[in-house]
Amino acid sequence: MTPDRPRVQVLSLLASGVVLAVAPWVLGGGQYVFRITTVMLTYATYAVAFNLIFGHTKQLFLCVGALAGSSAYLSVVLVRDLGWPPLLTVGLGILFAAVLGGFLSYVAVRRGLGVIFVGIVTLAVSLMFQNLLLGLRRYTNGETGIVTQGLGIGLGRYPVASYYAFLGLLLLALVVYARLMASPAGLAFRALSGDELAAELAGVDVTRYKVLAATVGSGLMGLTGALFADYNGFINPSIFSLAHVDIVVLIVLILGGMRTLMGPVVGAGAFTVIDHLVRPFGQVTVLVYGAFLIILFLAFRDGLVPALRRAARLPVP
Amino acid sequence: MIPILLDGVVQGLQLALLAVGITMIYGLGGILHLAHGQVAVIAGMTAALLMGAGLRPLLASALGVLTAGLFSVAMDLTLLQPAYRYRGEERLLLGLVLTLGLAFLVDGFLTFRYPEVALTLRLRTPSVVVAGVTVRTASIAVSALALAAFAALAAFLVGTWLGRAVRSLMQNEVGAALCGIDADRTRTFIVGLSGLLAGLAGVAQGLFSSLGPEMGTELTILALIVAVVGGVRSLTGTFTAGLLLGVVNTFASYLVGTYITLIFLLWVALVAILVRPQGLLAYWT
Amino acid sequence: MTGVLRVDRLVVAYDDIQVLHEVSLEVRPGEAVGVIGPNGAGKTTLFKAISGLLKPRSGHISWEGARLDGLPAHAVARRGIVYVPPGRELFPQMTVGDNLTLGAYVARAGVHRRLARVYDLFPRLAARRPQRAETLSGGEQQMLAIGRAVMARPKLLLLDEPSTGLAPLVVAAMYRQLTTLQQEGLTVLLAEQQVPLALSFCARIYVLENGRVVLSGPPQALLGDPALKRAYLGVDVPP
Repeated sequence: MTPDRPRVQVLSLLASGVVLAVAPWVLGGGQYVFRITTVMLTYATYAVAFNLIFGHTKQLFLCVGALAGSSAYLSVVLVRDLGWPPLLTVGLGILFAAVLGGFLSYVAVRRGLGVIFVGIVTLAVSLMFQNLLLGLRRYTNGETGIVTQGLGIGLGRYPVASYYAFLGLLLLALVVYARLMASPAGLAFRALSGDELAAELAGVDVTRYKVLAATVGSGLMGLTGALFADYNGFINPSIFSLAHVDIVVLIVLILGGMRTLMGPVVGAGAFTVIDHLVRPFGQVTVLVYGAFLIILFLAFRDGLVPALRRAARLPVP
Repeated sequence: MIPILLDGVVQGLQLALLAVGITMIYGLGGILHLAHGQVAVIAGMTAALLMGAGLRPLLASALGVLTAGLFSVAMDLTLLQPAYRYRGEERLLLGLVLTLGLAFLVDGFLTFRYPEVALTLRLRTPSVVVAGVTVRTASIAVSALALAAFAALAAFLVGTWLGRAVRSLMQNEVGAALCGIDADRTRTFIVGLSGLLAGLAGVAQGLFSSLGPEMGTELTILALIVAVVGGVRSLTGTFTAGLLLGVVNTFASYLVGTYITLIFLLWVALVAILVRPQGLLAYWT
Repeated sequence: MTGVLRVDRLVVAYDDIQVLHEVSLEVRPGEAVGVIGPNGAGKTTLFKAISGLLKPRSGHISWEGARLDGLPAHAVARRGIVYVPPGRELFPQMTVGDNLTLGAYVARAGVHRRLARVYDLFPRLAARRPQRAETLSGGEQQMLAIGRAVMARPKLLLLDEPSTGLAPLVVAAMYRQLTTLQQEGLTVLLAEQQVPLALSFCARIYVLENGRVVLSGPPQALLGDPALKRAYLGVDVPP
């Protein structure tokens, strides 16, 4: 049984679905637990998208926060200022993020930008986004942010239901990922991540598949961002900043295992545990983060999923 | 106009000094050093602490720079060794994460332990008139420092055996090994040298305004942008990119204002990268 | 033991694929020894193992009595064994002069005299002194690679298929210079695709086939042996 067999994948998805469904209750329930587990689900979903964009097509998009945030802000502002229905604006947010991500990918491929360059360009986009939010004070309220209560679908009012909504979103994302990887596109991705030039010479339309991965991934990020804005009750630039989103997503994916199905889930879970353990350190949090980062990556170079595969002799997808 | 241009050149020299280290480390080791800004901060903080303990500013600064160099060497010999066992993209990725972790470590430690400490170096003569233009002494000092450092670097790379070895490693690792050049030892030396240059840039920052423990990330990002625009493997490109972005930055802040300036700077960098993905002077190094 | 290279039952493998099966050979000071064989016989693998670019699975390589296998490439170069690989591995953006100077990294005394000597041997290089190595023609790059190796004052020169991709006239000129150097006492271990060149240049030949030494001896003793014909033609010759 290899990890990419459909049966193994379905089983894993079901198993993780069940585990995640009961997890908050097992951990004691209550507002705090549901809060951090919901946040964990959003990180996992971002990581699934990032897996497509970076893990499989080598596009180092350091603008996850910007993509999710632009969708969030767009949908919130449209409801607040124009009175449009939330579901429509969320859809517009997704569209915007998807188009932006796809555009960045297209430009990068056409200009032949390597991994680092894409990273720097998207980093610049991230910083620009932050500055734009602060500069366009009239719409975004700058650093203070916008209260989204009543401006969305109303997720914020029901923490338990929201958790399951986000769980549904994560599972949906994972299914989309799995189907995509099983399709011809998935084959193209595998060829791409090995040797791009060879893939190109073998006839793989590199541009098309990279842009596809970027668009789908970015749309997913947009959806998650917009829904999170609704759930959180308010948004401000710092929620979608590099430190709060991009770095975390990078850690989650690499820690969990790039190019694996369960990697984002396992990684997000591990990260949430570490985050929870580090919190009481108060002021020294950043220091401890750094130490954890170093130790973890020295111990699990491929990620936790491959390590689990080796240790438990199980074909974890 | 002229004073602004001069200011831009001075800032550009500072940026170039900071970025050159990243270029060298990437060119020789294949690792993008995300804790570079923190190395500069270490130099500044050490100098500030030593000055607080009573040392003369010049001596404290020199020791600060030295500390930055030693720290970098220690980092190469310990933290980065696991990354060197891989090649190409895996090395890049692991190096990225390890240096990121180090950046967090340093940031967290410094902001926790010395939150109030910052390096501010005040010069006895705040400004001087040169050819009818009022120039800050700090500007002259920083420019002289940066130019001297670059001149020394150039002389080292062209005129010494070790410098030639460094250049050769940046072009062909196998060829260099066949010539008897020890890549590991040379690389450790270069990491140390980059640390010294970053430390110099950090101390220079203290001459202009102040260098506090929280500035590490900003410095790293600036250095990365300059290095990438200049072409991550080209030293002359990095130098030019630094000057260019320094001038742009100064003009923009004079004309527009800080928020928009950063966006403008990033746009210029983006355009430069998109127009010349290989780096500014890719064909002329 | 000065200047003696001894390869003893060398086994080299890439993951599960074994390329060299217990290869043994010897080079004595002042000799010109050749290794010939069809494509894929393992000549470059052998040279890479000797020069330190590859680690052997088992077996010994000794140089001047001391163990050589397991040393990194730069350490092997420091011991006086200089390898000129088929890819040449020059420094493309550095000038001819700089490339040559770097060759002397391990032997810095008398650099200028040796530079002059190399320019004597290869006048084409002298003419192109300030040019970047990447602008040189194939033949000139090969000469530059050999020149760079000579600058290291090698005790043993490992030449891997120097005639590849070069015009016959250029090859002839190159071998003339190599003969000069050899007559001055340079020890050479040569791998050649073009068998006649090896036969005329070398005093002893090893024939490598599928990672094994199938024949060895002076050129005259090899003539007529079917293994030699196979090395020539790369195909199986009926007895």
